[in-house]
Amino acid sequence: MAIQILRDLRGLRVHVVHPPDSERTSLVEHLRRIGCMVETLWPVPECWSEGADIVLLAIEHDVRAEIQRLLKSDGAHRPTLIAVVSYEDPSTLQLVLEAGAVAVIERPIRPFGVLTNITIARSLWIERREAEKKMRKLERKLSGIQRIQKAKSILMDGQGLNEADAYESIRRQAMAKRLSMDDMAAAIIHANELLQYRPKDD
Amino acid sequence: MALIEDNTGNWRVGVLFSQTGVTSGIERTQLNATLLAIEEINAAGGVLGRPIEPVMYDPASDPKKFRSFAERLFQVDRIRLLFACYMSSTRKAVLPVVEAHRGLLFYPTLYEGFEYSRHCIYTGAAPNQNSLQLAKFLLSAYGNRFLFVGSNYIYPYESNRVMGDFVSQGKGKVLDELYIPLYPEAKDFERVVARIKKTSPDVIFSTVVGSGTATLYRDYRAAGFDPTRMPIASLTTSEAEVAEMGAEAAEGHITAAPFFETLSSPAARRFVASFKEKYGADAPVTAGAEASYFQLHLAMRAVAKCGTDDPEQVLVNLRDSEFDAPQGRVRIDPENNHTYLWPRIARLDRNGRFQTVWNPGVRVKPDPYCVVQSLDDWSVDDLQLLHP
Repeated sequence: MAIQILRDLRGLRVHVVHPPDSERTSLVEHLRRIGCMVETLWPVPECWSEGADIVLLAIEHDVRAEIQRLLKSDGAHRPTLIAVVSYEDPSTLQLVLEAGAVAVIERPIRPFGVLTNITIARSLWIERREAEKKMRKLERKLSGIQRIQKAKSILMDGQGLNEADAYESIRRQAMAKRLSMDDMAAAIIHANELLQYRPKDD
Repeated sequence: MALIEDNTGNWRVGVLFSQTGVTSGIERTQLNATLLAIEEINAAGGVLGRPIEPVMYDPASDPKKFRSFAERLFQVDRIRLLFACYMSSTRKAVLPVVEAHRGLLFYPTLYEGFEYSRHCIYTGAAPNQNSLQLAKFLLSAYGNRFLFVGSNYIYPYESNRVMGDFVSQGKGKVLDELYIPLYPEAKDFERVVARIKKTSPDVIFSTVVGSGTATLYRDYRAAGFDPTRMPIASLTTSEAEVAEMGAEAAEGHITAAPFFETLSSPAARRFVASFKEKYGADAPVTAGAEASYFQLHLAMRAVAKCGTDDPEQVLVNLRDSEFDAPQGRVRIDPENNHTYLWPRIARLDRNGRFQTVWNPGVRVKPDPYCVVQSLDDWSVDDLQLLHP
């Protein structure tokens, strides 16, 4: 895993969102030396580009609104974000945190440390993305279990079955209708809701 | 006042190579070559009519001394260009001082890569200019079961990582990785010899530097191993280490470098002849010496062009500049301050002289940040002609 990140550095598409100045020049030069494919952007774009694996974002206070607009844009293509800062005062740090940056590069730019920051940022970002994926999967599974539980109690109450028989009944119906257990459970809950419906003014 | 003195006096340059300590053998060759180049320029009338004056200290192979002498050179002796360093640990100690004084360091030694400072010109080989070629040669000539032996510091670890990557690309195996102290004792070599016996590799890749090198090769020979079947391959075992170990211990082993004393080109012959004339027939001429020689010429040619030793202006002048070095025409890469060089592989003969076994005949662009190199990028066709 660790060495794979280093291997993948070559050919990573890096967007440098930074005003055109000598800092940007030395940053871009060093990224190219490392072997990344670099594009520069300024002003701050309206949304995340599909073509970037890593974005180095200059945290400039005079474009705070533009940065916040970018951060609020659709997160589907959200790349690994590294903040480029000149100050470490709380308002800068707040912006860095809000941006969800996983590493920080300080100005003036020095070549030493850029490679380390990119590597760590990439590693954290990959870890975070995998953890999110896992969490979403677990959440789905958990709510499925809750649904089956609820469907079981409906059957147990309404038909006087014990828990094992209720489960078996859902499983059989799911198989007969070629549905997943989860969908079957949802159908039972839904049907029950319809049967239980009582107009309020009754 | 300083300005007037600058314009009338000598060009003072800093020179830091160890004359004592564990790597003094190789560093003395670098010092000798630096002084030879200075002598040549001065004999021809100096730079813009002013002679070069080297200011030298003996940092004794010790990073702390390197650092304090570098400070002295910049603060007291007021030099602006520094020619120095063999071990990476000493370069790492000197470079912050050079940067703080806005000077320029010329570093004439192969190293592990992954560094760039705009205050440093690197004239030795990066891993893509020696390790790759060495791996290709070893895999095709000897086999793919490797044993790594190195001194315990940064360069051996990174070189072994790079070499290990090539070995696995060659579907081979690293049997073991041993590190011995920079100042080794007899028992450290006993452990290495025992490990060689036990694992019986196809190749021993050595990144042992300094005076321990001679002991390693001697103990290998004393243990009765056969270098035609199982050579020690190295990037750092040069003419200087061979002089320390003697021809008998050296025979049959392999080194990759851009320069060997035995190169037959006229430029190489001229350089080696002047070197031997000044320092004696037995004085070893190493790749580190060759880099020291051409970098001094390169630097002073730039000083002559811009009329000052102001590092900023020298740097601009050095970018993209070509120079006919003893190894062939070299060039400073403006992207990364490293040097285009000519990789070569040589085997030591019974007289302890390097005989070229593979000369790809290509100048290779330096790529100091290359994490993964592919063996397939290099053809080994011309090797068949040279390999007996």
